[in-house]
Amino acid sequence: MPPTPEEHPNKAAFLLRVRSALGRTDPIVHMPDHPSLKSNAVRQQEKVRTIVARNEARRSSALDRLARTAAAASWNVRRAGDAEEAASIVAEIAQQSGVKNLVRSAEDVFKRVNIDAALRSVGVSPAILASGRSRSRGALRDMAFRADMGVTGVSYAIAETASCAVTPRKGVARLASLAPPRLVLLIEPEQVLETLDDFFAITRLNRMQARGRTINYFNFISGPSRTADIEQTLTIGVHGPGEVHMVILG
Amino acid sequence: MAEVKSAEFKKASGRALRDEKLQHSLEHVMEHFVGARASVIENDFGDENWEAMRTRAAAIKQSTLEHLDYYLDMVDRSVRRNGGHVYFADDAAQANAIVLDIAKRNGVKTVIKSKSMVSEEMGINHILEREGIEPVETDLGEYIIQLAGETPFHIIAPAMHKTRQEVSALFQEWLKTAPTQDIKRLCVYARDALREKFAAADMGISGANFVVAETGTVCLVTNEGNGRMTTSAPRIHVVLAGMEKIVPAVEDLALFLRLLPRSATGQRITSYNTFVGGPRAPSDEDGPEEFHLVLVDNGRLNLLRDEVMREALRCIRCGACLNHCPVYRKIGGHAYGWVYSGPIGAIVTPPMTNMKVARDLPYASTLCGTCKDVCPVKIDIPRLLLHLRHKVAEGALGERSTTWMERLFVGQWHGAMRNRKALEGKANLGRLLTRPFARGGKVRKLPFAPMVSGWTASRDFPAPAPRSFARLWREELAHDNAHPNGTEQG
Ligand code: SF4
Repeated sequence: MPPTPEEHPNKAAFLLRVRSALGRTDPIVHMPDHPSLKSNAVRQQEKVRTIVARNEARRSSALDRLARTAAAASWNVRRAGDAEEAASIVAEIAQQSGVKNLVRSAEDVFKRVNIDAALRSVGVSPAILASGRSRSRGALRDMAFRADMGVTGVSYAIAETASCAVTPRKGVARLASLAPPRLVLLIEPEQVLETLDDFFAITRLNRMQARGRTINYFNFISGPSRTADIEQTLTIGVHGPGEVHMVILG
Repeated sequence: MAEVKSAEFKKASGRALRDEKLQHSLEHVMEHFVGARASVIENDFGDENWEAMRTRAAAIKQSTLEHLDYYLDMVDRSVRRNGGHVYFADDAAQANAIVLDIAKRNGVKTVIKSKSMVSEEMGINHILEREGIEPVETDLGEYIIQLAGETPFHIIAPAMHKTRQEVSALFQEWLKTAPTQDIKRLCVYARDALREKFAAADMGISGANFVVAETGTVCLVTNEGNGRMTTSAPRIHVVLAGMEKIVPAVEDLALFLRLLPRSATGQRITSYNTFVGGPRAPSDEDGPEEFHLVLVDNGRLNLLRDEVMREALRCIRCGACLNHCPVYRKIGGHAYGWVYSGPIGAIVTPPMTNMKVARDLPYASTLCGTCKDVCPVKIDIPRLLLHLRHKVAEGALGERSTTWMERLFVGQWHGAMRNRKALEGKANLGRLLTRPFARGGKVRKLPFAPMVSGWTASRDFPAPAPRSFARLWREELAHDNAHPNGTEQG
């Protein structure tokens, strides 16, 4: 844990001016009444337990919803009955797009879904993009930008908005999901949540429970990289992948 | 601070009105945003739920403002606990100095920027350039206007006034690319140019859509993926955030992420959301190595101090009020003369910059109230406009802002409205005086310069009817419409 940075010298005077603009002289000592700040770790845990139970009970309808919202947000959605089918779908996508250089992350999902074998059977040999594999950052970078397809897993997928939460866990190289023009995300049923509320409630609990080690960085990917900045004409694939595939197990 | 050109408002809006190409694209783009917003709200929530969400969001933001000192302290502690640095800047000059200091300390040569309205307020690009540091905007629209040397035309569509030909010409000049009419090609040119910058940059600067007090998380909303690049490709990430950007809890993001993209572009969510609250741990494979959050006042205290104006700080910069405003849709963004345009620009620019220079802005509205109806945080923009007009009229500028003729007219009006006979008498006089100038039911030009000719300089006035309603009623209608059972209904 790095040392806590120091307080900015202007902080006290700044807060004083804000306070006097609000017509108060003394600082507020009790936390203002705000429903989402109130619950402590115990109550938050209770809340998350309910959320998880609900999501388990309604898994199949959540998966259907995810498939619908994702299609509406320009994802190419494929559903796989089992791991084997998922692997062959990934190979099929690679083959159809004429992919030559494919990179994947080193996540656990690939222990269950053996895409490497499936890919090799169609003549594509995947490269694993993860630091700490005796490759320099520069080499990883070049690999990612040369690739025409990236395959990774997710932490969560939110059915409400087709948002895939990508957190920097071990083995997840950022560039695999950002640099190549084509992205395939593998989603396992337990990762699917119904709503944004579910996701942020879990995020909050994770923070409360983390002792000294918190995740400072994560992203949602909710569709292809897009812009309409020139003449309001929709164009995909600006800084991120323009072609996005979701392979849902279950 | 970026120069305030709002004193030119009347001249600049005249220019925009005469620009036919601009009129066409304004109508086209605004119509698109309005339609997309309406249908996504209708599909996903329906009016009643949407209304409830707006009410809740307004309450959360208002309460955060009422306790702003408390929440600023909370943000500061959370971010520092995460290992990030926090700064408090009173004005643009201080904020610029802070960023420059971080850049110089680290020997930064290239800075990549993801869209930040605060950085527009600060005019930081010029400051960096002067010190030999190259700032590069990475949002495509911002990149285009940076090459053109202009300011954003719209909060979320900064280059909407540029045609593909103009963009192609800019790219030919700056990127030495071949001319093309193909928009897709143009995007590829920009992407390739920017990829080099992403690789070379040592520092990324972004704005913040939301800053979560409880966790110190900054949330960025983008469609292109440039936010993600800016926050993780360079070693250092600097966030510039207006001090009002705070929401208390991480769970509040669910609500605000539902409201913002739908209000802005009619999307259910944008393609990318980046959440960053500090530097990455050495074992992480993603995120910046150094994280700095600069909280900026720059005139916001003037809004906070005024109890009526305070609610303007609830704004989440979605642009819906611009898209729906009959005035913005005609004159576009540049006429407002500073960073923020449309209804929100009209209420925040005078208090944040200079009441005198921006005195015309509160009058740039028909008070139709559409902005208030579409605002996701329910800012009562018409009321705030009237409040500012009141201040101007009451001499907030240190001068009397009304002419003796206006005062005479208002005095007469006051008398007439309190007395039926006087009102009818004055109305008849008006009828007599204007009738000679009416053509086809409109009065196009009144000659009594300068007293009233200003009224018809840029608009037609409906010609008064030959007989007043009161007379018509007395002479014909009262008899016909007598209530069948003889009772008068109020
Ligand atoms: S005032 Fe309301 S509608 Fe206008 S930009 Fe701000 S939040 Fe959006």
